[in-house]
This record gives sequence, structure tokens and C-alpha cells, in this order.
Amino acid sequence: MKELLIAGALLASCSPAYAAETPITGNVQTRCLIVTDTNGVYGNPLPSKLSTLSADGGVVPVVRYDVTLADAYLAKVTTPTQFSTAPALTDAVTWTGSTTVTNTTDVGMAGYEAAKVTYGSTTQYDLVVAGSTWFSSESAAVYGVNKSFPGGSYTALILAECIAK
Amino acid sequence: MIRLLVVLLAFYTANAHSEYLYGITGNMAGTGHTWGMTTIGPSNNRGLRINGVYYQYTPVKNTEDDMIVYVRNRRIGSDGYIFESTDDWSGLPGGIPITKGFTMDNLPIELWGSGSIDVEGKGSVRDANVIYSYKYNNDCLTPMSDPACPGYTDAVLGMMNTTTIESYDSLGDKNITDVLDKKADLEEDPEEEESEEEKEMLEKILSSVDDSVLTANVISQNLLMFAMTNAVTMNTYYDKKLAGGTYKETVVLDGGQLPDNKKGARSGLAQQLLHTEMVDMQYKQEE
Repeated sequence: MKELLIAGALLASCSPAYAAETPITGNVQTRCLIVTDTNGVYGNPLPSKLSTLSADGGVVPVVRYDVTLADAYLAKVTTPTQFSTAPALTDAVTWTGSTTVTNTTDVGMAGYEAAKVTYGSTTQYDLVVAGSTWFSSESAAVYGVNKSFPGGSYTALILAECIAK
Repeated sequence: MIRLLVVLLAFYTANAHSEYLYGITGNMAGTGHTWGMTTIGPSNNRGLRINGVYYQYTPVKNTEDDMIVYVRNRRIGSDGYIFESTDDWSGLPGGIPITKGFTMDNLPIELWGSGSIDVEGKGSVRDANVIYSYKYNNDCLTPMSDPACPGYTDAVLGMMNTTTIESYDSLGDKNITDVLDKKADLEEDPEEEESEEEKEMLEKILSSVDDSVLTANVISQNLLMFAMTNAVTMNTYYDKKLAGGTYKETVVLDGGQLPDNKKGARSGLAQQLLHTEMVDMQYKQEE
């Protein structure tokens, strides 16, 4: 009996361990695409002001959201509150901005503008209809108190986000 | 396998000359929001097909109002529409433009009737823009390239100089005949003194002759231009050359010598003698 137990133990210790790790792969296709439709340009109507308004010599930037899944995403568009590149500034810059819907591909998007939520410099839209929506963001920066901006190149960024609900 | 290749080759050659060109229209929606489809594409095209419709407009309305906008095209030969897109703005705010695009299944232009933007309810649209994309064959841009092309017969007849040419007949010119008549009247009374009335008449006569000369000049210029145009159009055909180059003689003469045909010579001589005798007979009769 003892011999039998020893033999069994040896057999058990010698048997190979059958185990494998099987990968599971998946691919999630994006159903929300953000495209820059028009690059913005700052005009300089006053020495102390930069503005994207066409009346001020600027170009309003336009961002397009393409959504293929209805009622699944929030669009958040944030106007700039600082320059990404600029000459050295020694005074405060006052920022203002706003975002509006300027074009749609579906009648159901007509209510986006009325239903938008604005907090700080961010405007949030609930993309309840599949299709494309164009958002225009106006931005203006005023330097100090009637203080002239130093000469140079200024760049600011609009942040456009598509957040799954 | 060979049959298949032959069929494929035949199919390829039958279609090799044909090429599709693509284009888009301008804004077809005028101020009245109605438009025709006859101006789409180049003239004299064949097989033009619409493959896309794109439109944009801005609704003008109060949120509480009901409004339905139809963008559509009549279907020729029926009471229906070949394309129709409906936007129901009822209860929705206006002011934001809407843009839509549709891919069409290459529908022939012959089926497309007039287009319109129709508003049902309370409200209107502004800044309307409707654009069509299309494709067409380029093998009929020149009407004579294919007998099936529209305008082929007229082009051929024009090339064959069947155009009516107006010629100038001086004796059929009323100015000239009047002048001749009046001149005859004046010559009938050479003894009478030249009155003021006659002077005026003479001036009118000269004026009429000038008009006729001018008309004749214009007609002769037109004829000259017509002849020059024909020369240009026909020269393109005269310049065509046969492929292959030289056609060499294939008959070879054995021996290199060609003997006289004595039988033929005798026959020719006998004919000549008979002819001479026949000619001489007429002189003998007179003697």
C-alpha cells in the first residue's frame, strides 16, 4: 500500500501542467469624430484687443462633430483662456468667448442651441441626433487696461471634446 | 477560354471610346426657390445622370409654429417626385442652417423635372442653396462622332454644303430697277432744264445705287467667308493618310521581252485603212 502511494505521488509530480492564456481582442470603432472645419484667425482691431469676429478682421473657427450613434455623446467646446504661444506678457489678459451651433444636418438638431449648458468658458451640447453639427467659437482677448499687445505671433487653442454619456 | 477572351475583348473595344466625366452644378435655387433642370451639364451631352443632391437653407420661423419644408424634383412622365426630402420644423426653433446630402443611383436627366423648395405652414426659408452632381459621356461633345448623337444629321448636312446660300441678283434688286426706270424717264426729256426736283431725284437714285452696292458687298463677303470655312473644315479630311505606306507591284514579266502583237497590228492597220477609205469617200462624192 505504501509503495502504491509513493508511486502515485511520483506520477502526480511528474505529470505536466496543462494551462494556456487565450487572448480576447476587441475593437471599438469611434462613433464620434471631431474635425476642424475652419481655422480661426485673430484680428487686431485695437492695440489692446485680439478678436476672431469678422467685424474685427478675424476669422471665427468652426469645429464639426460627426456622430453616428444618437444620444450617446456630449460635445464640450472650450474657448481659450490663455495663449499657447505669445510674446512675453507682463499684464493680465481678459478673455471672453462663446460657442454656437452654426450648421446641422438634421432637423432634430435645431434644439441644440436652446438646450446647451454653459459653464466658465465651456459650452456643452447633448448630441441626441446622429449626424454632423458645426460649432463656431468666438474668442477675444483684451490686454491690461487699454494696453498694447507686444508685437509678435499669438496662438490660442479651442478645446473640443466628445464625451461618452 | 478563348471565347471568353474574345467576348471580353469585344466588350472592352465597344466601351473603350466612351469615358465618363463628372461635374457639379452651381446653386440651382433662385430667389423664387424653383428651378429647371435643362441647363445642367454641357450642351449636346448624352447619357447625363444625376448621382447626388445637396442642399442647404436656413429656416425662418417661430418655435411654436408648424412648418414643413420640402426640397424636391418632379419626375417627368408621372405626377410624383423623383427626389423629395422633407424637413418637419414644427415646434422647433429656426435660425440655424441645415445641410443635407443625398447619393442618387445615377438617374438619367430625362427623368428629372423642375425642382422646388416648398414651405407648408407658417414660416419661410432663406439662403437656399441646392446643388446637383452628375456624370455624362464625352462621346457626343462632337455631334459627328457617332450617328446616335443628337445633332448628327445637321452636322453632316452642314458639312455637305447643303446650307442655303443667298446670292445677289442685281436685276432682282428693287433699288436697281427703280434707278433704271427713273434714269429712262430722265433721258426721255433731255431738253428740259434741270429742276430742283430732278436734282433730288438724282440724289435719291445715287443713294439707292450705293445701298445696292453695299448689299452686294456684304453678300459677297459672306460667300467668301463661307468658302474659307469650308476649306478649313474639309482640309482636315484631305490630310488623312492611308496606313501601310507603299503598295508594290506584284506582277512579274517572265523573260524580260515583250514581243509585238502582229495580229493586233494587222487589225489596227485594217481599221485604219477602212477609216481612211471612209473619209476619202466624202471627197469623192463632191467631185
